[in-house]
Amino acid sequence: MDEQLQKPEFLGFGLGLRPDHYSDILDGEPDVDWFEIIAENYMVEGGRPLYNLDRIAERFPLVQHGVSLSIASTAPLNMDYLKDLKALARRIEPKWISDHLCWTGVHGINLHDLLPVPYTEEALDHIVERVKRVQDFLERRITLENVSSYVTFKSSEMTEWEFITELANRADCWLLLDVNNVFVSAFNHGFDPMDFLNGVPPERVVQFHLAGHEHNDTYIIDTHDHDVCDEVWELYAKALKIFGPVSTLLERDDNIPPLEDLEAELRIARDIGAKTLPEIAMAATQ
Amino acid sequence: MISLKELQDEFQRAVLQGETEVLDEINSSDKEQREVLLGVYQNAYGLRLIEFIENDYEKLGLLLGDDQFEIMVRAYIANTVSHSPNARHYGDRLPEFLKTHEPFSNAPVLGDMASFEWALNKAFDAADAEFMTLEDLASVEPENWPDLNFAPHPSTTRLDLATNVQDIWQALDDETTPPAIEVLDEPDRVIVFRRDLSSMYRSMDYEEAMLWDEMSRGVNFAGLNELSATYADEDEASMRVAGYLKGWIEGQMLAA
Repeated sequence: MDEQLQKPEFLGFGLGLRPDHYSDILDGEPDVDWFEIIAENYMVEGGRPLYNLDRIAERFPLVQHGVSLSIASTAPLNMDYLKDLKALARRIEPKWISDHLCWTGVHGINLHDLLPVPYTEEALDHIVERVKRVQDFLERRITLENVSSYVTFKSSEMTEWEFITELANRADCWLLLDVNNVFVSAFNHGFDPMDFLNGVPPERVVQFHLAGHEHNDTYIIDTHDHDVCDEVWELYAKALKIFGPVSTLLERDDNIPPLEDLEAELRIARDIGAKTLPEIAMAATQ
Repeated sequence: MISLKELQDEFQRAVLQGETEVLDEINSSDKEQREVLLGVYQNAYGLRLIEFIENDYEKLGLLLGDDQFEIMVRAYIANTVSHSPNARHYGDRLPEFLKTHEPFSNAPVLGDMASFEWALNKAFDAADAEFMTLEDLASVEPENWPDLNFAPHPSTTRLDLATNVQDIWQALDDETTPPAIEVLDEPDRVIVFRRDLSSMYRSMDYEEAMLWDEMSRGVNFAGLNELSATYADEDEASMRVAGYLKGWIEGQMLAA
């Protein structure tokens, strides 16, 4: 890996690519700068999903976001999965490849969830080594996202942001800062979200996620089925001040509204960006 | 201190089997008990897998109704873990499960519907392959026709359905009232395939289905003619085989 960190370019404001919106995207001119794909949805053999993806890749920058890397698992790395991930990246040439700082299962089982990690030295050593192996295989840095979590472990020896910072620096990877996940985990575990934002190295953060969640009084679940709430927008503005212009992505995975509604929600992010950072305001007028 | 491996083993057992030993490793928050917080993961597991099956088996869900569908899927989940990084594969064992596990196996329409929907899903994202064209066929010298072999396109699936599930599926797709479930005297011989990137299906008569199945097993053109001649009018056998081949080629059912 290079000694000097050269962050990927600022892509602007993007949406998670969802099949519901294929025709509006392909037949229209959506007000979206880039799309993030769920990698596994396109790790299929052929047919319409890849056909549509190829057409979208011709017109928009893409980022490849996975959910099954299981980087924190104690099970062996799934090399077949990594080969498919690499083949997809060769096909669409994403700006970067991301997944989550979590595990999804052990003993050959995939629980299809983003499961929490204890913030221990043992876990750190384990994950750093795996990130390096994955990066060597993919021949590029990967980007890891902080997840929403609902439990903390008694064995944890450091905060989540200390863990993430140490991981990113030691493994030399990028970070995807999910602002909603920071908000959710801060509420669930009783920490100040600003401690998280102030504790993460800005030079490593290449992307933000924004999404909605479900509030259950005593805990919040990261559901991606609502609009982004006001508190998360406020946190996003604060994050922009700390991290500067960072490619921003709005996620929606359930109760998916028409594309135009998401474009409107994305404009809120654009407006906050333009008000918060002169660089973004200037880019918007060009 | 518990190792990362032990912690993950215990956590996974809590999600899959509801075991509680991992609670010793988890903190309660200042707002909620740890049992409830662990329960978020336990509940999410079932809900997520139900959603995968809903996505892949929409018409089966309509046929069963919400409550019965959830009972069925929960039985499948209790029987079937996911081994794939891709959620798309989780439902691949549902047709077999419904055909082999009571009470679902007592209603063959359920296994039929699952098989039919899975074949349509497969047609949607199966591997791409060049199609055989009529020009390909025309370029073969007549003396070489007897030795010609054919290959089904990867998107094709041949099914023998015991019930009128094809009509039921179509009615549900049209959002009209489906016909009463009927167990057929003769199976409905169906081919599911992909044409111009869309999943399609149609019935085959006995001879066409037999020839398709034998073609798929590697029987060449001469062999198909012989089979056709033993089934019906011998003199017109090669004409009939040629007619079926033309239909398969025009349906993009054969790989080049």
